[in-house]
Amino acid sequence: MNTQTKTAPTQDNAQLAQGREIENRIRDTIYQATLFLDQEKWNDWLALCDEDFIYQIKAFSPEINYDSIYMHESRDELIKLMDMLPKHNTDESPLSRFTNVYTVDVAADGATATATSAFVVYRHIFDSAVDSHIEAGSTELYLVGKYHDEFRITNGQPRFIARTTRLETRRMDRGSHWPI
Amino acid sequence: MAARNHKQWNATPSLTTEEWVDSRIYSDQKIFDEELEKIFKKTWVPVCHESELPEAYDFRTTSIAKEPIIVARGPDNVVRAFLNVCPHRGNLLERRPAGSFLEGQPSGNPKRITCLFHAWQFDMKGNCVYISREKEGYQDRLCKEDTGLRRLRCEVKFGGFVWVNLDDNPIPLEDWAGPAFECIRETLDAEPLEVFHYHKSIINTNYKLWHDTNSEFYHDFMHYHNRVTGFNDAYFARKNEAFEHGHVNVGSFEVNYENYEGFDSRAELSFPHLPPNQWYMIDLFPGMNINLRGSALRTDVVTPLAPNKVMIEFRGLGLKSDTPEERLTRIKHHNSIWGPFGRNLHEDFLGVEGQSTAMQPGSEPRRILHGRQENQTIHDENGMRHYYEEWGRWMDRSPVDPDQPYTPRATAAAE
Repeated sequence: MNTQTKTAPTQDNAQLAQGREIENRIRDTIYQATLFLDQEKWNDWLALCDEDFIYQIKAFSPEINYDSIYMHESRDELIKLMDMLPKHNTDESPLSRFTNVYTVDVAADGATATATSAFVVYRHIFDSAVDSHIEAGSTELYLVGKYHDEFRITNGQPRFIARTTRLETRRMDRGSHWPI
Repeated sequence: MAARNHKQWNATPSLTTEEWVDSRIYSDQKIFDEELEKIFKKTWVPVCHESELPEAYDFRTTSIAKEPIIVARGPDNVVRAFLNVCPHRGNLLERRPAGSFLEGQPSGNPKRITCLFHAWQFDMKGNCVYISREKEGYQDRLCKEDTGLRRLRCEVKFGGFVWVNLDDNPIPLEDWAGPAFECIRETLDAEPLEVFHYHKSIINTNYKLWHDTNSEFYHDFMHYHNRVTGFNDAYFARKNEAFEHGHVNVGSFEVNYENYEGFDSRAELSFPHLPPNQWYMIDLFPGMNINLRGSALRTDVVTPLAPNKVMIEFRGLGLKSDTPEERLTRIKHHNSIWGPFGRNLHEDFLGVEGQSTAMQPGSEPRRILHGRQENQTIHDENGMRHYYEEWGRWMDRSPVDPDQPYTPRATAAAE
C-alpha cells in the first residue's frame, strides 16, 4: 500500500490552509490600518507596526528623472510628528482611503511577507480655506497610488516593518500634514 | 474700536497711501491679462535647473504667460530655449514634460525635435532640418532656412538655474538679479547643485499673494515651527533689503532647529561657505523665490493661470557631490518643512487660499494693509511696499487705486 499518496495531500492542505490563514491576517491588517488612518487613530495604527517600522511617501518625477521622497519617518519620528501636529494649523477635512489588496507573498520560512495594495484617497471638504459656506461637504479626489508593505510574522501575527506609499498623483495642490 | 459699520469699514485708513493696496489688483481679470503682457512676457523666469537636463539632447518643457516653451541641451552642451510651437501649423512640438531627443519619435528621426503632425524636424539649435515633401509643396517659395524655431533668451546662471525671457531685448540677467543674489552667490556657485525634489501645486489664489507671503515674515505667527525655532533677538534683527527691479532679500540668522521636538541641528550639511543653520531668502519680482535653509535649497516658480489661480513649482536642491546618506538627510530637512506633507508649506496654502476666497471677483474692493514699520527688520512690510512700487511702474497703474496711472511714491526710494 502506498501511504505516501494518502498522507501527502493532507499535509499539503494543512500547510496551504496555514499559508492562507497568514495571508488573510495580512489582508486584515492592511484593511485595519486603512480604517485607523481614516479615523485618525494614529496610536492604533502604529500599534500594528513593529519597533523598526519605516514609513515613506514616494513618487517618481519624470520632470527631474528622480525618485522623490516626500516623507521618510521611523516609528519614533511618526510618534513625535503626531505629538506636534496639533500645534500646527492644518486642513481638518477628513480623508477616506479605499484600499484594495492585490498581492500577498509570504516567505518560504513564514517569517516575513510582502504585500501590494492599490489605494484611492478622497478629501471631504470641511475647512480647506475655500468658502466653507459653499464647499463644505463636497468630496474631491486627492491621491491615487499603491502601498508596498513589508511584514514580520511572529507567532502567526503580522506586523508592519515598512510601508512605502507610492503616489501616481504628482500634482499635490495644498497637500496635507498626515500619513496617507 | 468696536466693530465698524459699512462707512467706517470703507474709511481711509490712518496710514499713508503707500501702506496699503486695493484688493482688485488680486482679483481683476483685466489687470491679470495685462500682467501677463506687461510683466511676465518681459522678465526673466528660472524655468528649471540645469541638472534636469544633464545629457546632450535632454529637454524640459515649460511655459511663460501662456506661451509654451522647450528647453534643450545641445550636443555642444549649450542649453537653449525655443517656443514649443511648430512654425508650420502652430502645433505643440513636444508634449512630454521632460525626456531626451536621442531616440527617434514615430514621426521623426533621432536627435531631432519633431512635430508629430506633419513630420517637420528641427535640430538642437532650432534650425529646421527637414520639411516633408518640401519641394513638391513649396517649390522655391518657402524653404527650411525660412522656418527655424523662435529662439528665446536663455542663460544658465546663479547656481545653475536656466533663465528664460520672452523679450528679445530684456534687461540683462546680471543687471536684473545679480545684486539680489550677491548674499549667497559664492555659496550657489561653489560646486554643482542637483535637484532632488520637484512637485507642483495649483492653488486658488493670486500669484502676488503667494509672493507676498514669501516676502513678509510677520506670518511666522502662523507657523509653530518657525516660532519655536526662530523667535529670538537675532531673528527680530533680520533686515529686509530692497534691490532695484522690485527684488528683496531677507537677512540671515542662526535657526535653532533642535527647539522643535523631533528635529536636529542641520549644521553638518550646511551649503559651502555658510555658517551653520543659516536661513537666506531672495524674493525676485514678479514672483520667484530662492530660499536657503542651510542644508537645503528651495525654489518657487509661479505660473499665473487666472486672477485667483496660480501654479507653483517647488524644487529642492542639494550638492551634486552628496553621498546617498547625505542626500537622504537633506531630503528630510527639505521635506519636513517644505514638502507636500511638510509642516510649513501646507500652512502657507491655507493662508493664501483664505485671502483669495475673501477677495474673490465680485466681492467689495478691500484695502490690504502693508503698513508695518519696524526699521526694515523682519516684520516690517517694506518688502511688499517695494514690490508694489515696482508693480505700479510696470503696469502703469496705482496699487492703491488701479484705475489711476502710476505715480512714484514719495518714500519708495528711501526704502
